[in-house]
Amino acid sequence: MGRLDAVYDWFDERTAVRSLVRKGLYEAVPKRGAWFYTLGSATLVLILLQLVTGIFLTLVYVPSVTEGWASLNYLKQHDAFGSIVRGIHLWSAYILLFVIGLHMVRTFFSGSYKRPRELNWVTGVGLFLLVLVMAITGAFLPWDQAAYWTAVVVTNVPAYTPFIGSFIRALWRGGDFVGPITLSRTFGIHVWLIPAILFPLILAHLALLRKHGEFGSYVNYRGAYRSREGVDVPPVPPQRPIEPPYPAVPTDELWAAPLETEDFFPFQTFKDGLVSVVLVIVVFLLAVAIGAPLEPIADPSTTSYTPVPEWFFLPLDELLLLVPQQLIPLALIVPAGGVLLLLALPFIDRGPERNPFERPAVMVPGGFAVLFVIILTLLGSGRLFNL
Amino acid sequence: MARDSRRLSRRQFAFLGTQAVGAVVTLLLGIPIVGFILSPLFHRQQVVWLQVGDISGVPDRQPTKFEVSFPLDEWTSSNVNLAVYVVKLNNEYLVFSNTCTHMQCPVRWQSDLGQFLCPCHGGLYDITGKNIGGPPPKPLPQYVHRIDGTTLFIQNSFTESI
Repeated sequence: MGRLDAVYDWFDERTAVRSLVRKGLYEAVPKRGAWFYTLGSATLVLILLQLVTGIFLTLVYVPSVTEGWASLNYLKQHDAFGSIVRGIHLWSAYILLFVIGLHMVRTFFSGSYKRPRELNWVTGVGLFLLVLVMAITGAFLPWDQAAYWTAVVVTNVPAYTPFIGSFIRALWRGGDFVGPITLSRTFGIHVWLIPAILFPLILAHLALLRKHGEFGSYVNYRGAYRSREGVDVPPVPPQRPIEPPYPAVPTDELWAAPLETEDFFPFQTFKDGLVSVVLVIVVFLLAVAIGAPLEPIADPSTTSYTPVPEWFFLPLDELLLLVPQQLIPLALIVPAGGVLLLLALPFIDRGPERNPFERPAVMVPGGFAVLFVIILTLLGSGRLFNL
Repeated sequence: MARDSRRLSRRQFAFLGTQAVGAVVTLLLGIPIVGFILSPLFHRQQVVWLQVGDISGVPDRQPTKFEVSFPLDEWTSSNVNLAVYVVKLNNEYLVFSNTCTHMQCPVRWQSDLGQFLCPCHGGLYDITGKNIGGPPPKPLPQYVHRIDGTTLFIQNSFTESI
């Protein structure tokens, strides 16, 4: 036995690290369709990229209406590596929003949110919303023209909340108007408040995933074949004995454990790693080639600047454009209703069926909702190019 | 021996005690933090008169933009420039902020249209500031103002809250 093994043994005796690592790495996960199940880990990798680059950006950024823009302009003018770090922060945020959306659509499609995994879905929706808040608050911080007018419009949206609207606006702005306190507050929210909720929630999301095992999708289950053929196929013995976490809760025998599983490490981790490394390379190339833009410093007196929403804000902005003046709160109520429906989804759609083609009552409205968001984005996309 | 049910057991006492401790800490931390978050809302902005400039050259029915330096208030000593549109209608002056009442985007005067236009969502206001098209729910905000001779002064406050 080597000396390293002895050190490992010493630590294992005191921390049980060996069984932890073993439990973490050699869990059974569904084998078929595993490429589709890489989206969650890709989301995690992109969030960690945010954490790392974000921490280093605080080494130069000053949250101040007079110094904030100047500190980033310094980065742009005098610090090529710092500019790349900022570029990675921006582009991985953009790609994160896209990938977390795909992750959500995949989970919706495969019905993975059903019992006993309802809270996996609920925590996931929470994470999606927190990532959106991160994106929006992050957009305020450069305090260039784009950031300033984004701050003005975005903090004004909640003012249309019935009854307590102007209170919420004042709370976020720290007064009636966007100013120094707005930037300090938004910085605090972006850097401390939301991460302090986001990261524990990620741990909860992962702990729940591990507790119930990765569901995969209907192709991994006998139930899928029942649905397709209309008859039960005789139970096929799994390739290897099902280990914990399957079956966690015997809700429905057909959907309790995947037919074929393989070890998380190294099979799934290899696929996860490949997808993530491609994303990281793309982010790096975008950061180097395009970088993070910095417009001229915020000028509240402008009468020539045309504010353009961040692309992820386009669907909401398009709603603001479309609803008539008597119905402006609709632009708030529609997305809020959408969020409530998302949170309620696992408690509405409770049947055991996982095959998306057998769940039209959920898939059709869900498809229309996704289509609605895409159409609003496309309608608004002309604004990105000042059309 | 039957226990007196009105008396706390040792377990119940410790149970309630633990919660009481939590409540004390929550209150002692919560009150100042909530107060801290809310305090800017009760901070009354100091009302000051600001000089806009000489308006004798403002042509009739041609909204003219002035830039006025407003105190930022709070902790910073620096100022922020805001756009003020002065409109002369016959012998009356209207003094507008260029803040759109829809989403507070920067409204500009479009002389070709003869209207104020908001570039964000296409809100339109006529020369008297009345909202006449698009989503804005209210007229353009007007500053409280006074004129000394030909010099215009405004307050850092609107005639109506937006």
